[in-house]
Amino acid sequence: MKILNLLSKITFLIAILCSFGLNLSAQTADEGKTLFNANCTACHAINDKVVGPALKDVHKRREEAWLLKWIKNSQALIKSGDATAVQLYKENNNVLMTSFETLSDNQIKSIVAYVKAESEAPAAAVVASVAPTAASSATQTNWESIINYLLLLIGILLIAIISLVFKILARIGDIQGKPVINWNSVNAILMILFLVIGMGAAFWEFYAHGKLTVFNQGPASEHGAEYDNMFMITFALTGVVFVITQVLLFWYGFKYKSDGKRKALFYPDNHKIEMWWTIVPAIVLTVLVIRGLITWNHMMYKKEDNARKIEIFAYQFGWNARYAGTDNKLGAHNFREVGKVNALGVDTNDVNSYDDIITNELHLEVNQPIDIAFRAKDVIHSALMPHFRVQMNVVPGLPTKFSFKPTLTTAEMRKKLGKPEFDYILLCNKICGSAHYRMKMLIVVDTKEEYQKWLNTQSVLVAGKVAPKAVAIK
Amino acid sequence: MSDHNTQHSHEEHEHHEGGFFSKYVFSMDHKMIARQFLITGIIMGTIGMLMSIIFRMQLAYPDMKMPFLEGIIGHWGKDGKLDPNFYLALITIHGTIMVFYVLTAGLSGTFSNLLIPLQVGARDMASPFMNMLSYWFFFLSSVVLLLSLFVDGGPASAGWTVYPPLSALPQAIPGSGTGMTMWLIAMVLFIASALLGGINYIATVLNMRTKGMKMTRLPLTIWAFLVTAILGLLSFPVLLGGSLLLIFDRSFGTSFYMSEIVAEFAGGIERTGGSPILFQHLFWFLGHPEVYIILLPALGITSEVIATNSRKPIFGYRAMIASILAIGILSFIVWGHHMFITGMNPFLGSVFMLGTLIIAVPSAVKTFNYLATLWQGDLKLTPAMMFAIGLVSFFITGGLTGIYLGNAALDINLHDTYFVVAHFHLVMGSAAIFGMMSGIYHWYPKLFGRMMNETAGHIHFWLTIISAYCVFFPMHFMGLAGVPRRYYANTAYDQFNVFVDMNQFITIAAILGALAQLIFLVNFFYSIFKGKRSPQNPWNSNTLEWTAPVEHLHGNWPGEIPHVYRWAYDYSKPGAQEDFIPQNVPDAGQTDPNEEATGLPATH
Repeated sequence: MKILNLLSKITFLIAILCSFGLNLSAQTADEGKTLFNANCTACHAINDKVVGPALKDVHKRREEAWLLKWIKNSQALIKSGDATAVQLYKENNNVLMTSFETLSDNQIKSIVAYVKAESEAPAAAVVASVAPTAASSATQTNWESIINYLLLLIGILLIAIISLVFKILARIGDIQGKPVINWNSVNAILMILFLVIGMGAAFWEFYAHGKLTVFNQGPASEHGAEYDNMFMITFALTGVVFVITQVLLFWYGFKYKSDGKRKALFYPDNHKIEMWWTIVPAIVLTVLVIRGLITWNHMMYKKEDNARKIEIFAYQFGWNARYAGTDNKLGAHNFREVGKVNALGVDTNDVNSYDDIITNELHLEVNQPIDIAFRAKDVIHSALMPHFRVQMNVVPGLPTKFSFKPTLTTAEMRKKLGKPEFDYILLCNKICGSAHYRMKMLIVVDTKEEYQKWLNTQSVLVAGKVAPKAVAIK
Repeated sequence: MSDHNTQHSHEEHEHHEGGFFSKYVFSMDHKMIARQFLITGIIMGTIGMLMSIIFRMQLAYPDMKMPFLEGIIGHWGKDGKLDPNFYLALITIHGTIMVFYVLTAGLSGTFSNLLIPLQVGARDMASPFMNMLSYWFFFLSSVVLLLSLFVDGGPASAGWTVYPPLSALPQAIPGSGTGMTMWLIAMVLFIASALLGGINYIATVLNMRTKGMKMTRLPLTIWAFLVTAILGLLSFPVLLGGSLLLIFDRSFGTSFYMSEIVAEFAGGIERTGGSPILFQHLFWFLGHPEVYIILLPALGITSEVIATNSRKPIFGYRAMIASILAIGILSFIVWGHHMFITGMNPFLGSVFMLGTLIIAVPSAVKTFNYLATLWQGDLKLTPAMMFAIGLVSFFITGGLTGIYLGNAALDINLHDTYFVVAHFHLVMGSAAIFGMMSGIYHWYPKLFGRMMNETAGHIHFWLTIISAYCVFFPMHFMGLAGVPRRYYANTAYDQFNVFVDMNQFITIAAILGALAQLIFLVNFFYSIFKGKRSPQNPWNSNTLEWTAPVEHLHGNWPGEIPHVYRWAYDYSKPGAQEDFIPQNVPDAGQTDPNEEATGLPATH
């Protein structure tokens, strides 16, 4: 361990030394970093293979011209029979890389510059800062795998021993003329143990892991309060039924075990009891249905006049948001133009689209109602925003929508949870391919001022043209 | 009638002396077909379970390199890392195998085949030939599905629900190539098998009951199998239609299920005008009744096992039949609860929500009736009985979370999270598997003429119920934290990554659970050859199958088919000497089987 520590310190020193010589192409690399995080991280990392290969030293492996072609349209390059492209495609189990036709040459170059920068000096920094944990986790991992193999071995041995014991027990039973273990009693006792320990474990779970749920954090949207209320009512009712029925089940199992002396009670039916336990659940469920319908209708038929219009666009494997701009009207779009004129196929000749803004993050203004329209490029995705109690499928060719009002800013939520690194997220919740599990978008809930400030830093779709006033007025 | 049947049995019997192939392979005997379904189901189940272990390892140790993987799955596990595409393939095939091949064919196929003729008092199925075809279609379907594991691009990987466009476009994921085509072929073959079987079961139950076997005297197993077969008959053709349209979309350039997809992504043909949601409607029109196709036989088996081993009549026999029928009918109008957030009209969501929550009423009635049957019983805690009790426990736990998910409003945040995974693995997976296990332990003497080792059975039960709860109960909390299902790893999310300990716990529990199944497998296959010889009626049961000799004969009964004089649940009848009165025993002075038996048997 000492040696490892020493090594990591040395690498760290080297890293610091190297980083002095780094700031040369910082400008492009910075731009590249933003672009990289927005477009590439769903499938790629610098040092590790994720869905796509690790990108470390990609500038050494490939020509820049080849990279430009590949990133813009990998499919075309494969079709053209380019040997490297075809080989790469095969190596990655015939998974196509998403085409980024809307990235300009300069943008791609800046991404490559960022990858280059990361591959060289900071790679050491990464190693250095990670080294102590990496080293310890490496030894841990080894131990884990050894333990796993041992477990397997023990399991096999156990089975061998158990089967031997069975044989002996069966032999003795045969000789004595009755089974050695009276399973009726053993099972009865085990049932009570199972009930007590199981219930204990279930309650421990509520205590230990209930804390981690989004319901413990509280809702971050207006309808979320009503949602959580519905959830808690259901939880209380089902919880009571769960405990009563499980206790009865295992208690009866214990109490009425056969002892060879008693005869069972011949009791084929009782219409009165049966009527009651049909009617009571029916009434309880009626209450749940009515409450549920009220909640559902409130959530689904929400109409606010001043709602801000936002479009969320999903593709394999990423998200975009489009803001309607000052006119609060989203410009027309055409699926045939997706990725050609701009990433979302928005018609730049439509006056409504002049002031539209396309982003990689979803910024929302606190207490400002929003109408989200969802659109997908390729397959079905689902936009889950668990902290807001919002989810809607994103279906190609079928517009869907959801309206809600965020009520807690990111900063407020961080404070509430005591977690300064907390972020709201939007994640894909409908199986959509290999990088499905990394397909997410950052959500930031801002105050009014922060929101405006952020919006001002974003560029509108068609710069310099202003929508005619007549359109802007509703 | 009986003359004809006896003669028929003799002919068949002689015919079957013929040879190995006609006896063991292309058999038309319902008991042999039941064994074939069961053993194929067990093999498929073992494969499905091993797949789950591989992806559970990935979820528990997302950063660990597992070199042995490369040995098992070849290039999909290069450098000891499971490929994300193959992860999706594994969960897809795991789901497909478990839902269709184990819990539909393995469960319903086995016990409907074994018990329907024996319990209603028939020589065989209405059409033994169709019955044989039903098995062989199923077998072919299994082979096609397993072969798809080895094709280029891997097997189908769009989840067992295979939603288009993901499943429709080979460009979308590697698994949507040849693997998906084979999945669809396997499914078409499977549906043919299910329909051939289903028609047979219905015809046999309705037309071939022995004298005195009125519908109100049928054991609850038969009621469950009958309603199951009707559900299958009405819903499987819809999936067949849906699959055919998907085949058209994939191979012939149509776009039933696609809209606004550009030509580059859709194999060179622009796809417009269809609807991806249409497929979901067609799929779940089968998919939801399918849940009950899986569950009802398990509940039927449980009713029979609990009554027999409590030495009590099942409580509320008619209410049990009514709830089976109610569940059967309601199951056709609730499919939309799988689609609350697809963007369909919210009013439609309300209707589906209403239907879904109503199903909780007959389900609750069933649960209470089971509890009432146990009450004041004389419980023989055999392995079959323990598994039946385990089923009731899972049915409660998993059923209650259905009240959350059936609520359209609550579904918004829970849809497709681990909460759903926990829910259906408990209520449909574990409960139905426990029903199947209960049936295997109970009717093993009927299937193979031998007994299984009891001690091994009890150990199997306890390890399985503990590991099943350890695997699925914690998943509720992951779901409530918003962790989506079908994620290859949670490493990209800080708030989900806290569950890595829980994931490791679940995986270890799953491995232990799998090892426990090894005990069962050894017990099962060992006992076929070396088990203790079974007495004719080992559980002192009332139903007709135990009046047939232990040795299998073609035609089931050597002489005349027994007549039935009473219902199946005369256990511990006051005044009777024994604590059971088999269905074929008449009351003193009762000559007409159709007369109600109200008194006690003359000599018993």
